[in-house]
Amino acid sequence: MTIERTCPIDMNAGPIFVQIANHVRQMLARGEIVPGDKLPSARDLAAGLGVNPNTVVHAFAELERMSVIETRRGLGTFVRGDAPVAAMRRDMLRTAAAAFAVEATALGVSTPEALAALKEALNAG
Amino acid sequence: MLASLNRATKQYGRTEGVRDLTVEFPPGEVVGVLGLNGSGKSTMLKLLAGLLFPTSGDVAVFDGPARAQRARVVYLGETDALWSWMTPDDAATFMVGLYDDFDVKRYGELLASLAVPRRRTKAMSKGERGRLRLAMALARDAKLYLLDEPLGGIDLLSREKILQSIVRGWHTDETILLSTHEVAEAEGLFERVVYLREGRIALDATAETLRGRGKSVVQTYREVLG
Repeated sequence: MTIERTCPIDMNAGPIFVQIANHVRQMLARGEIVPGDKLPSARDLAAGLGVNPNTVVHAFAELERMSVIETRRGLGTFVRGDAPVAAMRRDMLRTAAAAFAVEATALGVSTPEALAALKEALNAG
Repeated sequence: MLASLNRATKQYGRTEGVRDLTVEFPPGEVVGVLGLNGSGKSTMLKLLAGLLFPTSGDVAVFDGPARAQRARVVYLGETDALWSWMTPDDAATFMVGLYDDFDVKRYGELLASLAVPRRRTKAMSKGERGRLRLAMALARDAKLYLLDEPLGGIDLLSREKILQSIVRGWHTDETILLSTHEVAEAEGLFERVVYLREGRIALDATAETLRGRGKSVVQTYREVLG
Protein backbone atom coordinates (compact mmCIF):
# COMPACT_ATOMS: atom_id res chain seq x y z
CA MET A 1 0.00 0.00 0.00
CA THR A 2 1.77 3.09 -1.17
CA ILE A 3 -0.83 5.84 -1.36
CA GLU A 4 1.29 8.15 0.76
CA ARG A 5 4.25 7.73 -1.60
CA THR A 6 2.39 7.95 -4.90
CA CYS A 7 -0.31 10.55 -4.24
CA PRO A 8 0.77 13.87 -5.70
CA ILE A 9 -0.76 16.86 -3.93
CA ASP A 10 -0.91 20.06 -5.94
CA MET A 11 -2.02 23.02 -3.87
CA ASN A 12 -3.13 24.80 -7.05
CA ALA A 13 -5.24 21.90 -8.32
CA GLY A 14 -8.36 22.24 -6.20
CA PRO A 15 -9.33 20.82 -2.79
CA ILE A 16 -6.89 18.27 -1.39
CA PHE A 17 -9.67 15.90 -0.34
CA VAL A 18 -10.76 15.59 -3.99
CA GLN A 19 -7.17 14.88 -5.08
CA ILE A 20 -6.78 12.11 -2.49
CA ALA A 21 -10.14 10.52 -3.41
CA ASN A 22 -9.28 10.66 -7.12
CA HIS A 23 -5.90 9.10 -6.48
CA VAL A 24 -7.42 6.14 -4.62
CA ARG A 25 -9.90 5.63 -7.49
CA GLN A 26 -7.05 5.81 -9.98
CA MET A 27 -5.01 3.22 -8.06
CA LEU A 28 -8.04 0.91 -8.07
CA ALA A 29 -8.67 1.43 -11.78
CA ARG A 30 -5.02 0.61 -12.49
CA GLY A 31 -5.07 -2.46 -10.30
CA GLU A 32 -2.45 -1.04 -7.92
CA ILE A 33 -4.90 -1.78 -5.13
CA VAL A 34 -7.71 -4.33 -5.25
CA PRO A 35 -11.05 -4.90 -3.49
CA GLY A 36 -10.47 -6.10 0.06
CA ASP A 37 -7.24 -4.14 0.51
CA LYS A 38 -6.85 -2.14 3.69
CA LEU A 39 -6.16 1.58 3.44
CA PRO A 40 -3.76 3.33 5.82
CA SER A 41 -5.36 5.11 8.76
CA ALA A 42 -6.37 8.70 8.13
CA ARG A 43 -3.68 9.87 10.54
CA ASP A 44 -0.87 7.86 8.93
CA LEU A 45 -1.89 8.94 5.46
CA ALA A 46 -2.19 12.56 6.62
CA ALA A 47 1.29 12.47 8.16
CA GLY A 48 2.71 10.84 5.04
CA LEU A 49 1.17 13.46 2.78
CA GLY A 50 1.76 16.38 5.14
CA VAL A 51 -1.92 17.30 5.25
CA ASN A 52 -4.50 17.82 7.94
CA PRO A 53 -6.04 14.51 9.19
CA ASN A 54 -9.52 15.99 8.72
CA THR A 55 -8.78 16.40 5.01
CA VAL A 56 -8.11 12.66 4.71
CA VAL A 57 -11.23 11.90 6.75
CA HIS A 58 -13.14 14.06 4.26
CA ALA A 59 -11.62 12.16 1.31
CA PHE A 60 -12.52 8.81 2.88
CA ALA A 61 -16.10 10.02 3.50
CA GLU A 62 -16.33 10.94 -0.18
CA LEU A 63 -15.05 7.49 -1.22
CA GLU A 64 -17.56 5.84 1.12
CA ARG A 65 -20.33 7.87 -0.45
CA MET A 66 -19.17 6.60 -3.86
CA SER A 67 -19.35 2.98 -2.53
CA VAL A 68 -15.60 2.55 -3.09
CA ILE A 69 -14.48 1.95 0.51
CA GLU A 70 -16.04 0.98 3.82
CA THR A 71 -15.06 1.40 7.44
CA ARG A 72 -15.17 -1.73 9.55
CA ARG A 73 -15.49 -0.76 13.17
CA GLY A 74 -12.29 -1.37 15.07
CA LEU A 75 -10.55 -2.86 12.04
CA GLY A 76 -9.95 0.07 9.72
CA THR A 77 -10.90 1.21 6.25
CA PHE A 78 -11.07 -1.25 3.35
CA VAL A 79 -11.75 -1.22 -0.39
CA ARG A 80 -15.23 -2.66 -0.78
CA GLY A 81 -15.54 -6.14 -2.30
CA ASP A 82 -18.08 -4.72 -4.76
CA ALA A 83 -16.19 -1.48 -5.48
CA PRO A 84 -17.19 -0.35 -9.01
CA VAL A 85 -13.73 -0.94 -10.48
CA ALA A 86 -14.87 -1.56 -14.09
CA ALA A 87 -16.95 1.62 -14.10
CA MET A 88 -14.04 3.67 -12.70
CA ARG A 89 -11.70 2.23 -15.33
CA ARG A 90 -14.19 3.18 -18.09
CA ASP A 91 -14.56 6.69 -16.61
CA MET A 92 -10.81 7.25 -16.54
CA LEU A 93 -10.31 5.93 -20.05
CA ARG A 94 -13.03 8.31 -21.28
CA THR A 95 -11.42 11.23 -19.46
CA ALA A 96 -8.04 10.41 -21.01
CA ALA A 97 -9.63 10.03 -24.44
CA ALA A 98 -11.40 13.37 -24.10
CA ALA A 99 -8.11 15.07 -23.21
CA PHE A 100 -6.46 13.48 -26.26
CA ALA A 101 -9.39 14.57 -28.46
CA VAL A 102 -9.10 18.17 -27.25
CA GLU A 103 -5.39 18.21 -28.09
CA ALA A 104 -5.89 16.55 -31.51
CA THR A 105 -8.63 19.05 -32.38
CA ALA A 106 -6.43 21.95 -31.30
CA LEU A 107 -3.70 20.61 -33.61
CA GLY A 108 -6.23 20.46 -36.45
CA VAL A 109 -5.52 16.84 -37.39
CA SER A 110 -8.12 14.60 -39.07
CA THR A 111 -9.76 11.73 -37.19
CA PRO A 112 -7.87 9.00 -39.13
CA GLU A 113 -4.62 10.86 -38.51
CA ALA A 114 -5.38 11.14 -34.77
CA LEU A 115 -6.37 7.49 -34.55
CA ALA A 116 -3.22 6.42 -36.36
CA ALA A 117 -1.09 8.40 -33.92
CA LEU A 118 -2.99 6.87 -31.01
CA LYS A 119 -2.47 3.35 -32.37
CA GLU A 120 1.18 4.00 -32.87
CA ALA A 121 1.56 5.29 -29.30
CA LEU A 122 -0.32 2.29 -27.91
CA ASN A 123 1.89 -0.12 -29.81
CA ALA A 124 5.00 1.71 -28.65
CA GLY A 125 3.80 1.91 -25.03
CA MET B 1 -15.24 29.20 21.88
CA LEU B 2 -11.83 27.98 22.93
CA ALA B 3 -10.08 31.30 22.48
CA SER B 4 -11.00 34.72 21.19
CA LEU B 5 -9.87 38.27 20.79
CA ASN B 6 -12.57 40.90 21.01
CA ARG B 7 -11.64 44.32 19.65
CA ALA B 8 -8.16 43.82 21.04
CA THR B 9 -5.50 46.46 20.51
CA LYS B 10 -1.92 46.19 21.67
CA GLN B 11 0.31 49.23 21.40
CA TYR B 12 4.03 49.27 21.97
CA GLY B 13 4.76 52.93 22.52
CA ARG B 14 3.50 54.47 19.34
CA THR B 15 3.49 51.36 17.21
CA GLU B 16 0.55 48.99 17.20
CA GLY B 17 1.03 45.24 17.30
CA VAL B 18 -2.61 44.47 16.67
CA ARG B 19 -5.40 46.93 16.11
CA ASP B 20 -9.06 46.43 17.01
CA LEU B 21 -8.69 42.72 16.31
CA THR B 22 -11.71 40.44 16.64
CA VAL B 23 -11.34 36.75 15.90
CA GLU B 24 -12.57 33.48 17.42
CA PHE B 25 -11.01 30.03 17.53
CA PRO B 26 -13.25 27.02 18.24
CA PRO B 27 -11.86 23.71 19.54
CA GLY B 28 -10.32 21.36 17.00
CA GLU B 29 -8.84 23.61 14.37
CA VAL B 30 -5.35 23.82 12.90
CA VAL B 31 -5.02 27.47 11.95
CA GLY B 32 -2.28 29.07 9.90
CA VAL B 33 -1.49 32.59 11.08
CA LEU B 34 0.04 34.29 8.09
CA GLY B 35 1.38 37.74 7.35
CA LEU B 36 4.44 39.75 6.52
CA ASN B 37 6.95 40.75 9.21
CA GLY B 38 5.34 43.20 11.60
CA SER B 39 1.78 42.24 10.65
CA GLY B 40 0.89 41.32 14.25
CA LYS B 41 1.22 37.51 14.19
CA SER B 42 3.51 37.27 17.21
CA THR B 43 1.55 39.89 19.11
CA MET B 44 -1.69 37.97 18.56
CA LEU B 45 -0.14 34.71 19.77
CA LYS B 46 1.46 36.38 22.81
CA LEU B 47 -1.86 37.99 23.74
CA LEU B 48 -3.54 34.56 23.60
CA ALA B 49 -0.66 33.07 25.60
CA GLY B 50 -1.26 35.67 28.31
CA LEU B 51 2.28 36.98 27.91
CA LEU B 52 1.02 40.38 26.80
CA PHE B 53 -1.95 42.32 28.06
CA PRO B 54 -4.11 44.21 25.55
CA THR B 55 -4.02 48.01 25.65
CA SER B 56 -7.77 47.85 25.04
CA GLY B 57 -10.30 45.12 24.30
CA ASP B 58 -10.45 41.56 25.61
CA VAL B 59 -8.54 38.36 25.06
CA ALA B 60 -10.28 35.24 26.37
CA VAL B 61 -9.07 31.65 26.61
CA PHE B 62 -11.32 28.86 27.95
CA ASP B 63 -13.85 31.59 28.85
CA GLY B 64 -11.45 33.40 31.17
CA PRO B 65 -8.91 36.16 30.69
CA ALA B 66 -5.88 34.80 28.83
CA ARG B 67 -3.55 35.83 31.67
CA ALA B 68 -5.23 33.45 34.13
CA GLN B 69 -4.90 30.46 31.76
CA ARG B 70 -1.18 30.55 31.12
CA ALA B 71 -0.50 27.19 32.75
CA ARG B 72 -3.04 25.52 30.46
CA VAL B 73 -1.82 26.93 27.16
CA VAL B 74 1.25 25.81 25.25
CA TYR B 75 3.26 28.65 23.78
CA LEU B 76 6.35 28.19 21.67
CA GLY B 77 8.02 31.53 21.08
CA GLU B 78 10.44 32.65 18.44
CA THR B 79 13.40 33.06 20.75
CA ASP B 80 15.53 30.10 21.66
CA ALA B 81 15.95 30.36 25.43
CA LEU B 82 17.42 26.91 26.04
CA TRP B 83 20.40 26.86 28.38
CA SER B 84 23.53 25.68 26.65
CA TRP B 85 24.34 23.05 29.30
CA MET B 86 20.92 21.40 28.98
CA THR B 87 20.48 17.96 27.49
CA PRO B 88 17.03 16.74 26.38
CA ASP B 89 16.82 14.83 29.69
CA ASP B 90 17.56 18.01 31.67
CA ALA B 91 14.87 19.74 29.65
CA ALA B 92 12.37 17.05 30.71
CA THR B 93 13.17 17.58 34.41
CA PHE B 94 12.77 21.30 33.88
CA MET B 95 9.41 20.92 32.10
CA VAL B 96 8.03 18.44 34.67
CA GLY B 97 8.79 20.98 37.40
CA LEU B 98 7.00 23.72 35.50
CA TYR B 99 3.95 22.03 34.03
CA ASP B 100 1.56 19.41 35.42
CA ASP B 101 0.53 18.43 31.91
CA PHE B 102 4.02 17.47 30.67
CA ASP B 103 3.94 13.85 29.45
CA VAL B 104 7.39 12.27 29.78
CA LYS B 105 6.46 9.21 27.70
CA ARG B 106 5.15 11.36 24.89
CA TYR B 107 8.28 13.50 25.12
CA GLY B 108 10.44 10.40 24.61
CA GLU B 109 8.42 9.47 21.53
CA LEU B 110 8.74 12.98 20.14
CA LEU B 111 12.51 13.05 20.71
CA ALA B 112 12.74 9.80 18.75
CA SER B 113 10.46 10.81 15.86
CA LEU B 114 12.11 14.22 15.62
CA ALA B 115 15.56 12.60 15.81
CA VAL B 116 16.80 14.89 18.59
CA PRO B 117 20.32 13.91 19.71
CA ARG B 118 20.86 13.31 23.43
CA ARG B 119 23.60 15.88 23.89
CA ARG B 120 23.89 19.35 25.33
CA THR B 121 22.09 22.05 23.37
CA LYS B 122 25.34 23.96 22.82
CA ALA B 123 26.50 21.02 20.69
CA MET B 124 23.28 20.96 18.65
CA SER B 125 22.56 22.52 15.27
CA LYS B 126 19.86 25.14 14.95
CA GLY B 127 17.54 22.54 13.42
CA GLU B 128 18.16 20.11 16.27
CA ARG B 129 17.44 22.81 18.86
CA GLY B 130 14.28 23.76 16.97
CA ARG B 131 13.15 20.13 17.03
CA LEU B 132 13.96 19.85 20.76
CA ARG B 133 11.95 22.98 21.52
CA LEU B 134 9.03 21.60 19.54
CA ALA B 135 9.23 18.25 21.40
CA MET B 136 9.14 20.17 24.71
CA ALA B 137 6.05 22.07 23.55
CA LEU B 138 4.13 19.18 21.99
CA ALA B 139 4.78 16.84 24.94
CA ARG B 140 2.41 18.96 26.97
CA ASP B 141 -1.20 17.83 26.98
CA ALA B 142 -3.22 20.97 26.38
CA LYS B 143 -6.19 22.13 24.38
CA LEU B 144 -4.52 25.20 22.88
CA TYR B 145 -1.09 25.26 21.22
CA LEU B 146 0.39 28.55 20.05
CA LEU B 147 3.41 27.90 17.86
CA ASP B 148 5.19 31.04 16.69
CA GLU B 149 7.45 30.31 13.70
CA PRO B 150 8.42 26.75 14.69
CA LEU B 151 9.81 26.30 11.15
CA GLY B 152 11.80 29.53 11.11
CA GLY B 153 15.42 29.33 10.05
CA ILE B 154 15.76 25.57 10.15
CA ASP B 155 16.59 23.06 7.44
CA LEU B 156 14.11 21.38 5.09
CA LEU B 157 14.28 17.92 6.67
CA SER B 158 13.76 19.33 10.17
CA ARG B 159 10.78 21.28 8.88
CA GLU B 160 9.27 18.12 7.39
CA LYS B 161 9.83 16.20 10.64
CA ILE B 162 8.21 19.00 12.63
CA LEU B 163 5.14 19.14 10.40
CA GLN B 164 4.76 15.34 10.59
CA SER B 165 4.99 15.40 14.40
CA ILE B 166 2.30 18.04 14.52
CA VAL B 167 0.00 15.95 12.29
CA ARG B 168 0.61 12.80 14.33
CA GLY B 169 0.24 14.43 17.73
CA TRP B 170 -2.86 16.48 17.03
CA HIS B 171 -6.12 15.38 18.66
CA THR B 172 -9.38 16.46 17.09
CA ASP B 173 -10.43 18.55 20.11
CA GLU B 174 -7.20 20.55 20.21
CA THR B 175 -6.61 23.85 18.49
CA ILE B 176 -3.23 24.73 17.06
CA LEU B 177 -2.33 28.23 15.90
CA LEU B 178 0.84 28.15 13.87
CA SER B 179 2.50 31.22 12.43
CA THR B 180 4.96 30.71 9.63
CA HIS B 181 6.65 32.21 6.61
CA GLU B 182 7.04 28.71 5.16
CA VAL B 183 3.54 28.89 3.76
CA ALA B 184 4.00 26.48 0.85
CA GLU B 185 5.31 23.69 3.05
CA ALA B 186 2.79 24.09 5.83
CA GLU B 187 -0.35 24.91 3.90
CA GLY B 188 -1.61 21.33 3.66
CA LEU B 189 -1.74 21.21 7.44
CA PHE B 190 -4.05 24.19 7.82
CA GLU B 191 -7.80 23.88 7.89
CA ARG B 192 -8.16 27.59 8.28
CA VAL B 193 -5.90 30.47 7.42
CA VAL B 194 -5.94 33.91 9.01
CA TYR B 195 -4.05 36.53 7.02
CA LEU B 196 -2.94 39.56 9.05
CA ARG B 197 -1.93 42.93 7.69
CA GLU B 198 -0.96 45.89 9.86
CA GLY B 199 -2.45 44.28 12.96
CA ARG B 200 -5.80 43.55 11.37
CA ILE B 201 -7.41 40.61 9.63
CA ALA B 202 -6.99 40.88 5.87
CA LEU B 203 -8.70 37.53 5.22
CA ASP B 204 -10.01 34.65 7.32
CA ALA B 205 -10.86 31.59 5.21
CA THR B 206 -11.00 27.80 5.03
CA ALA B 207 -8.00 26.47 3.12
CA GLU B 208 -9.98 23.90 1.14
CA THR B 209 -12.46 26.62 0.13
CA LEU B 210 -9.61 28.71 -1.27
CA ARG B 211 -8.27 25.70 -3.16
CA GLY B 212 -11.79 24.92 -4.39
CA ARG B 213 -11.62 28.28 -6.14
CA GLY B 214 -8.35 27.17 -7.71
CA LYS B 215 -6.11 29.23 -5.46
CA SER B 216 -3.59 27.81 -3.06
CA VAL B 217 -2.99 29.39 0.33
CA VAL B 218 0.32 30.67 -1.11
CA GLN B 219 -1.32 32.26 -4.12
CA THR B 220 -3.96 33.85 -1.90
CA TYR B 221 -1.15 35.17 0.31
CA ARG B 222 0.34 36.97 -2.70
CA GLU B 223 -3.01 38.41 -3.67
CA VAL B 224 -4.13 39.48 -0.22
CA LEU B 225 -0.85 40.72 1.20
CA GLY B 226 1.17 41.55 -1.90
